[in-house]
This record gives sequence, structure tokens and C-alpha cells, in this order.
Amino acid sequence: MASLGSKVFLCVGRTNVSRFGLKESANRLAYSTLAPVNSHPGNKGFPDKNGRGPFRRKPRRDPGEPRTEKMAVDQDWLAVYPSATPFRPNSIPLPVRMGYPVRGGIPPEKKGNLELIKIPNFLHLTPAAIKKHCEALKPFCTEWPSALDTDAKCDMDFPVKVESTDYMSAGQSLRNPSARIVHLKVKLSSLNLDDHARKKMLKLVGERYCKDTDILTITTDSCPLRQQNYDYAMYLLTVLFHESWKFEPWEAEKSVADREEYIWEDSPSQKNILDVLLRMKVAGEGDDQEARDQLLERREVQEYKDSVVRLKNEGESESTMLQYKEAVKKVLSL
Amino acid sequence: MAHLALACTRAVGTAGARTPLMLRSIYLGSRNSELGITSQPSYQRSSYKIMALHRLSLRLRPTITHVRSLHTSGCRRQQEPVAAESEDEPFLVFRTQANDPASQSEKHMGQFYTVPPAHIRPLFPHGLPRRYQEQVKTFNEACIMVRPPALEVISCLKKTDYTKPAPRFLFYGLQGTGKTMSLCHTIHFCYTQGWLVLHIPDAHIWMKNCKELLPSSYNTSRFDQPLQATAWLRNFRVTSEPFLSKIKTKQRYVWTKREFTEEGRPLGELVDLGISRVKSSSDVVGAVMKELRLQSGQPGAEFRLAVAVDGVNALWGRSTIKKEDKSAVEPEELTLVYNLRKLMKNDWTGGAIIATLSQTGSLYMPKSVYLPQELLGEKGFDSMDPFVPVMVPNYSEKEFESCYLYFTDRHWLQHPQSHTEEGKKEIIFLSNRNPSMFDRICGFL
Repeated sequence: MASLGSKVFLCVGRTNVSRFGLKESANRLAYSTLAPVNSHPGNKGFPDKNGRGPFRRKPRRDPGEPRTEKMAVDQDWLAVYPSATPFRPNSIPLPVRMGYPVRGGIPPEKKGNLELIKIPNFLHLTPAAIKKHCEALKPFCTEWPSALDTDAKCDMDFPVKVESTDYMSAGQSLRNPSARIVHLKVKLSSLNLDDHARKKMLKLVGERYCKDTDILTITTDSCPLRQQNYDYAMYLLTVLFHESWKFEPWEAEKSVADREEYIWEDSPSQKNILDVLLRMKVAGEGDDQEARDQLLERREVQEYKDSVVRLKNEGESESTMLQYKEAVKKVLSL
Repeated sequence: MAHLALACTRAVGTAGARTPLMLRSIYLGSRNSELGITSQPSYQRSSYKIMALHRLSLRLRPTITHVRSLHTSGCRRQQEPVAAESEDEPFLVFRTQANDPASQSEKHMGQFYTVPPAHIRPLFPHGLPRRYQEQVKTFNEACIMVRPPALEVISCLKKTDYTKPAPRFLFYGLQGTGKTMSLCHTIHFCYTQGWLVLHIPDAHIWMKNCKELLPSSYNTSRFDQPLQATAWLRNFRVTSEPFLSKIKTKQRYVWTKREFTEEGRPLGELVDLGISRVKSSSDVVGAVMKELRLQSGQPGAEFRLAVAVDGVNALWGRSTIKKEDKSAVEPEELTLVYNLRKLMKNDWTGGAIIATLSQTGSLYMPKSVYLPQELLGEKGFDSMDPFVPVMVPNYSEKEFESCYLYFTDRHWLQHPQSHTEEGKKEIIFLSNRNPSMFDRICGFL
């Protein structure tokens, strides 16, 4: 299916992707060949064996030279293929081969090749043709705002991007049910979320968030019309935002297993290291809070804490293990 | 006489190191047929001839104590080479005379040292890997390679202050890289320093294949494993011979209505009781561990305690033992595991804890995991934290060379192609310098 994609950014930031479906009837081009007028008699029509007699078939003409021989290198290709048409081997000056290779040989040539005719071709969409289309469409477009010349500025002024697709096909009906789908993309860094709100938003949203690009994608297709889906998507975004800022009473019961990342304070690791260090020191110091706080201030303990946090959050690897080993050795002064 | 290549035996007085020497000497050319490369390693035959030759060589050249080894087709003879001659052949040395782990250092890296036979029986009744035990029997000697992980731990142990809580070391690495052997090397060091070694050879066997599971008499929610406990106590009795009479119990233990152990009795009595009274053996194990834990590091104690556990991740893993109602037994519910966990905590002083992680015997663990956090799990890591993880890698090039030379010297590599360069490259490719793979492959050659 040949398709034309064009994205036009309008003021609101809605993008429309249009497509042409190729279901038009193929234009039938008539071959015009300079065949000699007097052709030898062929046997067509009635079984007339020798070609003499009253039921002589229309004499068959020679196919003649293919058009490709007469094409200049700098010809206007748009004249040859002005619109989407099936593959015509004699009009295309390329030695194209397609198909499964003959045993011990190569794929069959283009002449009489059904495979090439079956597949869609984009010979009518060369860069020159596209340029002409653009020139033709320009009167219908408005200017791109000159202030928005970088991506960063676009993201800053228009953080919410809505994407939907339009479909065109030549068939019995203009409508396409896939046209109702709306994708809403927004970067979480552009929303005003604090730490708790961000974590809650991530939990609410789940799979729809991509960590690498920090983009939340909401896809709606539950309503039959695009307008309704767009409204629903905007509503979802609003609700998510406000809900993640709220603090429910049951959220206070968040346990260690629910945490997204490892926090060293009040973890068994902290208790262990403090116990060990207290025991290592002179026994007379006492086991009070001040001694613990003092120990926590020390550089080796901070390094140890960093290494444990890195180990737990990033997972294990040679480098994290090595860092942990060095930190432990320093802390225990081995 | 530079072209004289006489190999002299090692000092005959070296304890038990009767290595069959293969001699190739230009001078004693006529002897070659007798002492040539025999098809079978025959220790007694060649060593007798070596003795004869030794006497001969001593008469001829009494001052020779070192040689330059001659590269022959089949065998190589190595001694500690003279420095000037060894510059061009650094890989030929694979043995070292430093048989005491305390005296080993970086310059012995990659070399094999022999464990004196007097130490093998008391120290390793159950500790060595199975294949290594067979190798010891075949080669008639126990040679361990000096490698960086073990050396690192030993040097840390030499420097630690034993009034501080026990440091914990953990060997980890891929399968077959030599974690258990490093542990055995470290234990040998502790033994030569006179420590008491509490060696649990494989903690995984306590978590599976339990034929008898008794409810514990001490605490009804726990389970006893009498067979495993008795087996371990027997081996413990062998390893801790010298200490059994010296250490005294510090409290009174009541085993059953009629049996009890008074305070101040020697530890040996406790151990014997555990072996004879199978039913209470798990509790005896717990008592032994408790006594040792409390007593080590105290001012009056004359010993240091080394706790060596192989496969420590079993203590926090899952077990395949099932209770009567077919539910799985938690590790905490097993007396042996419970007591061992208490020992692994570093709230005692005057010793060290050395452990190995092992995926090989572990249960419900995929084969590819080897890193500490994956094998220990959350709970295990939090219990062992802070510990010093020591990575045990595959052989380096030098170590591989050394091991290859050792096998060649032992006549373990009989296949003619294994002595060629291509053969060696093939072995390297097949085994990827993994020690256990190398050992298995060479078993066929």
C-alpha cells in the first residue's frame, strides 16, 4: 500500500498523520509502439491453420523496442510516473530482478515478472515529485512561528503533545475505526511534582512511563470519536496530577518492600555497621545516640553508605562489588 | 659445564615430598633408556633410580644445587632457578618450597606448595573437594596453588587486631574457579598458626536429603537432624584434637532427664557425648558452637577460632526438606542452621569468619548466578553485612602455565599432543582457563 506521511505542526501542537490508501483503480496506460504496420499473419481467433482464407485473424504486431531505450538520462521522470501505477518493465530503465533465484542461478528479470507487479512501488514519489507536492501545498499552510526554532523551546512552551492518525482510503466507506486513537505524551520533568507526588504518579501510571526518556504516554481508544478520546486523555492527565499530590492516610503504611529505591537510614546495614564500630571502639564510650551520630559523620562510614546504596540500587557488578570491598576494608580498618 | 643438565633432587629431608623426578641429562646419556620417559608414572621405581643417580651426581658434582632446566620434548624439570638464568624462562617454576602459608607472599603467586601429609589427615577429613581428594590420592601429595584471593585473606588475617569483632570474608566467583580450594588454603594457614578451625564443608547438605528429621527437644518449634550432626561432630573431633581437652565448658547442659554435662568438663567429653547419643547430637553441636563463640577472644582463652563455611548461602536459602504436612521447612527451623547463623554474626571476637558462596549445591537457584547479593538474598546479605567480598577468578595465564606444568610433571597428561603448543592452545580454548574444567579435560588426556 503506498502511503504518504506528512506531519504538520499547528499551533496547539496536534499532529495529523495522513495517509493515502491505494485502492484506486489502476490507470491503464496504452502502449504505443512504433511497430511496423504490415505484420505477418498470426493465428488468432478461429482455428485457421494457415492464415489464408476468410477468417484471418487480426495480424499481430511486433512488440518493438521498449521505451527504456529511448529515455534520456535527464528526462522528466514525473512525466513517466505521474501517479501511483503498477510496475511497467518497459518504462523503467533499471535492471531490477526479483524473486527466488533459479537453482544455481539468479532471480528472474523484470520482464514479465509478476512479483514486481504485485508489490507496491513508490516510483511516483521521487524527491522531485515530493518537492512539487510541497510547492503545491504551500499556499494552504501557515508560517511556522519563528520563536520556536529549537526542540527545547517547543518542549518548554508546549509540553503536552497529542498525536492522532488520519486515514484515507478509496473504498466504500470513508471511516476508519483506528482514527479514534489518541496518544498523549508529556515529560514528567515539565510537571510540577515533588518527591512524594512523583513516586505516587509512577506507581499509578505503571507501564505507561518510560524511564529513559522521562515521557509519560497515555493512549486512549475507549471512546468512539477522536474528540471524546482527546477529552478523556486530558481528563486523565489532570486527575493523575491532582491525585499524586494528595496524601492518603493509608499511604503512611508504606513498608520497606514497597519502596522504589534503597534507603540506607534505618536499614539493617546501618545497624550492623554501627554495632560493629561501637564494639570496636573502647568499651567505655557507651551506647548512646551521640556516639552513633558521631560515627555516622565519619568519612569511612559515608563511603560505606554510598557503596551499599549503589550496590542495592544499581545491582551487582564487578565495579560495585569492588567499591563495596574497599569501603568495608576501610571501615573495619583491615 | 653449561651443557650439563643435571637435576638434583630436592632435599631428601622435605617431609613426605617424594616427587618422581624425571631426569634427562646429556652427560648420563646411557642412562636415558632406563630413566627415560616411562609410560606409567612409577614413583617407587624412578625414585629409587633417582636416589642412585643422586648419589652418583653427588660424587661427581657435589656442589651442584641448582640447574638450568633443559627443555625436552616430554618433561620439564624445575627447581627454584638461579635468578640470572630464570629471566628468560619465567614460567618454568611451578613449585615453591614455602610450604608454610604464613611465609607465602606475592612472589610465590602461581606456584604450587605442598601441604605436609601430617596436616592433611587432621585438617581435612571432610573439607577438600571430591575431585581434589582423588587427585591427592593419585599424585600422592596435596599441592595447592598460591593464588591472589587466598593470599589477600591471609594477609588480612595476619594484620587483624583480634580484640575487635571477627571480620568476615566471602569468596565468590563463577563455578569451578577455586573458591573451596582458596578456603582450604586459608584454613591451612589458620591451622599452622595454631587456631581452632570450625569447618563446615558444605552447608547445603544440611538443607537437603534429610533422612531423619526429629522435633527438637530443646525448642519444640525447631527440627533436629541427628545424622548430619553426628557426621559433622565426628569430623570436628578429628580436626580439633589438640583443643578438646584444653577447652572447658562454662555452663551446665542438661540433655535428657538423666544426662547432663557439668560445668568445667572438657569439650572432648561434650563431643563424644554428641557422637554416642545420636538423638541429642544437634543440640550438642549448638552447645559446642556456643561455647567456642563465648570463649574465643576472652582474656583467658588460648586459642583463636576460625569459622569456615562452604556454601554459606545455604543458610538463607530454601530447603527441600518437608515436614509431615508436606510444607517446606524454613531454614530457621533447623537447629543446625539456627546455631550456625548465630555463629556467623560477628558479635564475638578473637577470630575470623571465612566463607564461600556456592551455586553448585544450592537449591532453587539458577545456574548463572554467582554474585553475593543474588546468592545470599536480601536477608542473607543483611546478616552478613559488612563483609569483605573476595572475587576468585579463573586462572590467569601464568597460573594456567603453572598448573599445566604441574600436570605434565605428574605425568597426568599422557596424550602426546597435549605436550605440543597446539595441544595447549586447544586445552586453553576448551577450558577457558577454568580450573575445574581444566582438571576434567586433563582427566581424559
